[in-house]
Amino acid sequence: MRKVVLLGTGSTKYGKLNVTAREAAVLAAKEAIEKVGISNRDVEAVFVSNVFGMTEKQGHLGPIIAHSLGIPYAPTFTVETACASGSTAFREAFVNIAAGFYDCILVVGTEKVSHLDTITATTYFSYGSDFAFEAVNGASFPGLYASIARYHMHKYGTTEEQLAAVAVKNHSNAIHNPKAHFHKKITVEDVLKSRVVASPLKLYDCCPFSDGASAAIIASEEFAKKHIDTLIYVLGTGRASAPAALFNRENMASIISSKLAAEQAFKNSRLTHKDIDFMEVHDCFTIAEVIAIEDMGFCKKGEGAKLAEEGVTEIDGKLPVNPSGGLKAKGHPVGATGVGQINEVYEQLLGEAGKRQVEGATTALTHNVGATGGTCNVLIFRRGD
Amino acid sequence: MKEENLPSIKELEEYVRQGKLMGFKCKKCGHKEVTPFVYCPRCGSSEVEVVELPKTGKVVTYTIQWVAPERFLNEVPYAWCVVELDDGTMVSGWIPFISKPEDLPIGQKVRMVKSYKPGVYFEKVKE
Repeated sequence: MRKVVLLGTGSTKYGKLNVTAREAAVLAAKEAIEKVGISNRDVEAVFVSNVFGMTEKQGHLGPIIAHSLGIPYAPTFTVETACASGSTAFREAFVNIAAGFYDCILVVGTEKVSHLDTITATTYFSYGSDFAFEAVNGASFPGLYASIARYHMHKYGTTEEQLAAVAVKNHSNAIHNPKAHFHKKITVEDVLKSRVVASPLKLYDCCPFSDGASAAIIASEEFAKKHIDTLIYVLGTGRASAPAALFNRENMASIISSKLAAEQAFKNSRLTHKDIDFMEVHDCFTIAEVIAIEDMGFCKKGEGAKLAEEGVTEIDGKLPVNPSGGLKAKGHPVGATGVGQINEVYEQLLGEAGKRQVEGATTALTHNVGATGGTCNVLIFRRGD
Repeated sequence: MKEENLPSIKELEEYVRQGKLMGFKCKKCGHKEVTPFVYCPRCGSSEVEVVELPKTGKVVTYTIQWVAPERFLNEVPYAWCVVELDDGTMVSGWIPFISKPEDLPIGQKVRMVKSYKPGVYFEKVKE
């Protein structure tokens, strides 16, 4: 297997965009190409992630994006694994580079949902779970995570205040992220008083519906050395599935695919938990950040909820989590999210993250979940010296 | 999916409308689920049969939906719940008229009933 390098990234602002998903993808990709300083014609293939394209009356995004980027004959591949689509596209691009099939691939995730009303968007989001056996009985997507939260509260004594602390931290981090959806400081009180969506989750426990696109360029080590000085290696990758239906799992407060993907990524990177300087995890809801940290083995099962409350996961804490603001406050443009996490890793590992910089970070992990855990991808990156 | 002798999702929904819960059972290891399989997700065996499941069980976890998907807009607030049936099979369903956690303690006994409403409809059972 060849060594694979993250050459660079680009991203639109997350939030409400006045362009379509295909346009946002092109803007993010152009920024990445220019930042890295390669030619668009160096890109041999384009891997696209997008989930709700059909709601814009546009499928088959790959060739359209490639055409706009001046590489109309480059092969493309579009992937959908719900909210984990971005990191799935990235990991499969990694496999192609590692295998020696291509030297340079553009990965671009893109999403547009702001043209949908809340009820329609809520319904579309629930298509990522086992719709015929969960949503058909009245579960919304927040409702499924709310059921995970209640189980966690019942089994481990987690409180709504502890969950609120996750939202407060991520909003506070996003203030320093110019591309974040929200730039608004909130308090635990604000979260607790916000409108109940699906109890015990309230509006401020939930990520927003965002538009946005993020791009990443990855290449073989040999190609990378010809174009850039500081190499960020993709050291570990892990992917796994789990039963899409919540009720088919042994522990309803756990996402098994997270555990399996993290084990693989640690194994093939030959790193341990202690090597991770910070991580971007899938916090579509506050409870999701808590169980991500637990399931990947960064603390004992059931003890994740106190970390945000105690400041452990803040930017200057012992284990910084979601310095970007996470899905919660940076935003969650579904197909772009997994690539956006990699954008944060890139800026952090190069020391370009400004006021949200994790001091001295050289090694980072991303964790990206599809729906309630049907898919999970974990990636580990390390800056070379 | 429509294997010989195995019901389609449409047929499973029809059973629910008649007040019956059907499940898939692995003849080899005994594993049961309401979600269709042709190889057992637990042991991998291809020996699958369809069985009728018990109608009573207890609530394992739930949410109270205040923002509902399209077909449930008129039912708010209600509980979407995960129920462990008396034989251990796990299912999801919903319970009407639940507005606060005190209305539905974890472990509450429930019974599936026939209803003109959508989905698997449960009622609380007094002990």
